[in-house]
Amino acid sequence: MAKSLFEEKLNSGKFLITTEVGPPKGADITEMVHHIELLKDRVDAINVTDHQSSVMRFPSLGGCLVIREHGGEPVFQMTTRDRNRLALQADLLLAYSRGIKNVLCLTGDCVAVGDHKEAKPVFDLDSVQLLKMIKVMESGKDLGGNELKGAPEFCIGASVHPATDSIEPQLIKFDKKVEAGAQFFQTQGIYEVNCLRRFMQYASQFNVKILAGIIVLASARMAQYMNDNVPGVIVPQAVIDELAAVEKGKGLQKGIEIAVRLIKTIKEENLCHGVHIMAVGREGIVPDILDAAGLGVSMHA
Amino acid sequence: MIVAEQKPLEEIGRMIVPYEKILILGCGTCMTVCGAGGEREVSLLHRALSVAQARGGNEAHSFSEYTVKRQCDFEFLDVLVNRVDEVDAVLSLACGVGVQVLAERFPDVPVLPGVNTSFMGAYKEWGVWDERCAACGECRLAETAGICPITRCAKGILNGPCAGSKNGKCEVNKDVDCAWVLIYKRLEKLGQLEKMRRYYPPRNFRPTHRPRRIVSRADISIQEGVNG
Amino acid sequence: MCSVSMDASKSNHVYNVKKASFDHTLMPPCQASCPLHMEIREYVDLIAQGRIMEALQVIRDGNPFPSICAYVCTHPCEDACRRGQVDKPIAIRALKRFAVEFGGDRMIRTEGKTVHGEKIAIVGSGPAGLSAAYYLRKSGYPVTIFEAYSELGGMLRVGIPRYRLPREVLDTEVQRLIQMGIEFKTETPVVSLDLLFKMGYRAVFITVGAHQGLRLGIEGEESPGVVDGATFLREINLGLKPSIGEKIAVVGGGNVAIDAARTALRLGAKKVRILYRRSREEMPADHTEVEQAIEEGVEILFLVTPTKIESQDGQLGVTCIRMELGEPDASRRRWPMAIQGSEFHIDLDTLITAIGQAPQVPDDFRLRIGRGSTVRIDPVTLITNREGVFAGGDAVTGPATVVQALATGRQAALRIDEYLQHRYPSAGKDEKEALMGDLLPKTVEAIRKLSRFEPPTLPPQTRATEFEPIELVYDWGSAINEARRCLRCGMGAEILFQDKCATCLTCLRVCPYHVPYLDDSGTVQIPADQCQACGICVAECPAKAIVLRKPQDRRQIDEELDHVLRSATQSKVKPLIIGFCCQYGLYGTGALASLWREAKAGIWIVPVLCVAKIETEHILRAFEIGAEGVFIAGCGQEQCAREDTSFWALQRIGKAKRVLAQIGLEVERLQAFNLYANEEDTAKALDKFTEQIGELYLASAIKQEVKT
Repeated sequence: MAKSLFEEKLNSGKFLITTEVGPPKGADITEMVHHIELLKDRVDAINVTDHQSSVMRFPSLGGCLVIREHGGEPVFQMTTRDRNRLALQADLLLAYSRGIKNVLCLTGDCVAVGDHKEAKPVFDLDSVQLLKMIKVMESGKDLGGNELKGAPEFCIGASVHPATDSIEPQLIKFDKKVEAGAQFFQTQGIYEVNCLRRFMQYASQFNVKILAGIIVLASARMAQYMNDNVPGVIVPQAVIDELAAVEKGKGLQKGIEIAVRLIKTIKEENLCHGVHIMAVGREGIVPDILDAAGLGVSMHA
Repeated sequence: MIVAEQKPLEEIGRMIVPYEKILILGCGTCMTVCGAGGEREVSLLHRALSVAQARGGNEAHSFSEYTVKRQCDFEFLDVLVNRVDEVDAVLSLACGVGVQVLAERFPDVPVLPGVNTSFMGAYKEWGVWDERCAACGECRLAETAGICPITRCAKGILNGPCAGSKNGKCEVNKDVDCAWVLIYKRLEKLGQLEKMRRYYPPRNFRPTHRPRRIVSRADISIQEGVNG
Repeated sequence: MCSVSMDASKSNHVYNVKKASFDHTLMPPCQASCPLHMEIREYVDLIAQGRIMEALQVIRDGNPFPSICAYVCTHPCEDACRRGQVDKPIAIRALKRFAVEFGGDRMIRTEGKTVHGEKIAIVGSGPAGLSAAYYLRKSGYPVTIFEAYSELGGMLRVGIPRYRLPREVLDTEVQRLIQMGIEFKTETPVVSLDLLFKMGYRAVFITVGAHQGLRLGIEGEESPGVVDGATFLREINLGLKPSIGEKIAVVGGGNVAIDAARTALRLGAKKVRILYRRSREEMPADHTEVEQAIEEGVEILFLVTPTKIESQDGQLGVTCIRMELGEPDASRRRWPMAIQGSEFHIDLDTLITAIGQAPQVPDDFRLRIGRGSTVRIDPVTLITNREGVFAGGDAVTGPATVVQALATGRQAALRIDEYLQHRYPSAGKDEKEALMGDLLPKTVEAIRKLSRFEPPTLPPQTRATEFEPIELVYDWGSAINEARRCLRCGMGAEILFQDKCATCLTCLRVCPYHVPYLDDSGTVQIPADQCQACGICVAECPAKAIVLRKPQDRRQIDEELDHVLRSATQSKVKPLIIGFCCQYGLYGTGALASLWREAKAGIWIVPVLCVAKIETEHILRAFEIGAEGVFIAGCGQEQCAREDTSFWALQRIGKAKRVLAQIGLEVERLQAFNLYANEEDTAKALDKFTEQIGELYLASAIKQEVKT
């Protein structure tokens, strides 16, 4: 019996599509609701980011609740940067009770890169320990060894970054996450399929589902910036050049084109189990991408 | 080594405002080694405050100087009794430990900290000090080839690296090495990579709960001692 | 003005302050090897600072006749000089000559006053006798010197040729002694010591020297045309002009042989040869003399000795034989042995024998005579077998050096004084510990190699025709730059306050010569025999545990600042600018000299012995005592005699600037001149700086007005 709708989809063997919504910096969630409405029937699940880049926002848990209210399937992104093990466990109990049953376990970005640079970084746990903690809760106990009155059950996932220069430490980490019980992985943005191919050669030995991350670029400058500053992202020179070649104003269009091309390649060559589309603030264009890629005919929960 | 940095002159200037006669007290151990509060720094601070005073045209303060071997053991402070009586405040250039022991020893005189104690660290190159130990109370350097993940990893995680590691550097600062890449490399050299493949459960933070104390003496009753 | 300089009584440990006033310098090898124990390191350092008259004063304190030594001393100090382990030894004798000539030695007068009644007789007016006379006269004794020849000076007059020691120099010294009240009786050979005592002298010092030439012991030695070397030189020095012909040979390898050969050249001989029975390495003569002789055209035949002399029609036919070196003899030189059948013949007009001299002491003196006809004495008290009769100089040692004779003279004066005042002979001055040990290869590597500034000489062609002095005196630039090569052995840094030392390893890390090291017990040691006395570690030590061994060096800058404080407060000229200027470079580079000379009113120079010694506290103190602007001027990294000094000076300036910024003072008020790049025109740069400070001063004065 699948723990969640998304888990069913995972086990169904279909080409998986997930995407994400970024919550607002404030109490006004109108736009987020709009995006949720736009996407909930087109994808298998929607992630809600958790203070992405350490910028304070409306909480991921809140966003997942909203998705549930509107009939969508949420993936609760949970970082260990801001809450200790008591708070994390409590949030998970709440999530489960509200039908939020997919959790993406992350360590989270450093406080130093965000907009509250004087805040205290918590990091009571890391991503692997978080995965294990969920397993412990599923067994009916909390991390203190006490009996739970009502044990939760989750479909758990983690992140992996195949496009990295020194792959061996990353693979060691990947192994640990698989061993800890991760069922699915969403990768950081990929721009070069060979990289994905190489990674899948290693990862296919495990019974886990890999969703390739697709980040939509809007300009050559954005691509260069990501190359220089964002860990786990390598944008090949060819792609940067492609973006640089277009006239002003047509950057996003080209970015979408590149994204669609990648998705199509992945699907046609069956490189991995699906894609995770990250629009980085431009959630509105995701349906266009799906259309162009020929994906996401209405999914009804 | 405990490493500290002298507070900005402006802040010290504000701290000493209410006091007329001030003893600038240096420390001859860690603060000397890291160049933040030894005899030379005491004399330098004295000069700096005096120049500021001379230029400001007021003569609000008069300073005296002294340096003891350490301020963190109260026996070293006994020699100061008369000097402390003569002043209105002591501006201590010792680390936080020394300042507190000093304050406890001389509760009737205000003790002001002249340095910001930063960390326990080591000399890297001339004028450069790196933090090495966070006093976590659960040293795991055997598992990480002698590289501490608490002090050298920005997130202090035990199952690293995180997603923020790029080109062997940390996402926080391109000049900072990713500790877990360093650990990987050194474990590989030692042929001990299985230590990195192991799962490390969440940290036990109990040793860090404050206030902390270590009791190293044995307390045995006479009976125990006699009867064995 | 507030906060006076850190007073001794307010410093950390009172007893440490006392400790800090002790002299911990070690005696350098130059001083240790000098028979007079002259303070060579001190006067060379003074010359390096351009303080020539003070250098001369130091020289005069240790040497009764600096001008004579400046010309002819065999400089054992240079042989011992440790700079020789890096490149070439310091040209100490030439520097002494420079100090004597430029420091106005000729103008110095010495006084003599009679305090004691006991008359003292000195037999022989050579250097030992003159030296003893000088010191005895200074102690207040009436002294009479008896001299057999018509002129005074002993070997100085009759042995050393005029091209090495000019007559006027010796005359000046003798004049000074006469002015002191010393009585001289020339052409008065002493034949009886009993007579001297009858005449009322209470003590006698025998310094008859060694003038009797040794005989070769070969057939034909009595022939006319064969003359003893010492006699030959004496006759010429006393004014005679013997005709020696054109073809001359000199037998011997010591300084007398070389002197005889070179004198022969100057008398017009066309072919002068030296016959020496051993090889070049064993030649006892000063190697500079040998080189100069060869330059002038003297031919030296090594491993050759004459065996027979035949005289015919005024010409000499000399049979010589070749030698080879066998086993070492008592003097540890290899014994020469004749090679059978290697005889050859040379024709000469004159043959000069110079194989050694012995003293000639009249039997009537009834003195115990030892090997080589020398007088036997007690080595400590210098007394002979006769009561009240002392002896010293060549008469005791056989032919030796001038400086040894001067030292003996000084010692004799002390012993005679003790004898006459019925005191026990003192054990000798508390000798300072001598510096031992050679420079380690790693130290030598870090020391910049600098060529020795050789003292200028007349060209060989000019030299060989006249008796003018060969060696010329240094010019200022050469003298100062040569003096700056000195390694300052034994006056470096030491960790005086080991209790303050936190073993932070700063001294290890900053030393350009890698001198401080961690010993097995984990204690930092700064070995005195390696330290180059640059002063960097002293100023960097965070615990102030390191000091310079010389007490005068320790508080030098603080004392100069105090002096400025006292003087500047009296002066009304504003704004006050204080400049820390290196003393060495002031004269050495010339650029900084212009700084000193052009300094306008309101600028106070604090002289420092190298900018490496300036601490950040000194810079701040300058501002504290009211300076509106402060500058530091050094020799620049290339000119400075030590490494890394500019770097550290700039570090301390940087630290001071940080403080200025925090206080709200403009960082332009602190400037460095000539530390890295040589200033095009330091005077101009200083002018510009002065203008800037003037403007800042005006601006802040206006602000003050506005406030009030």
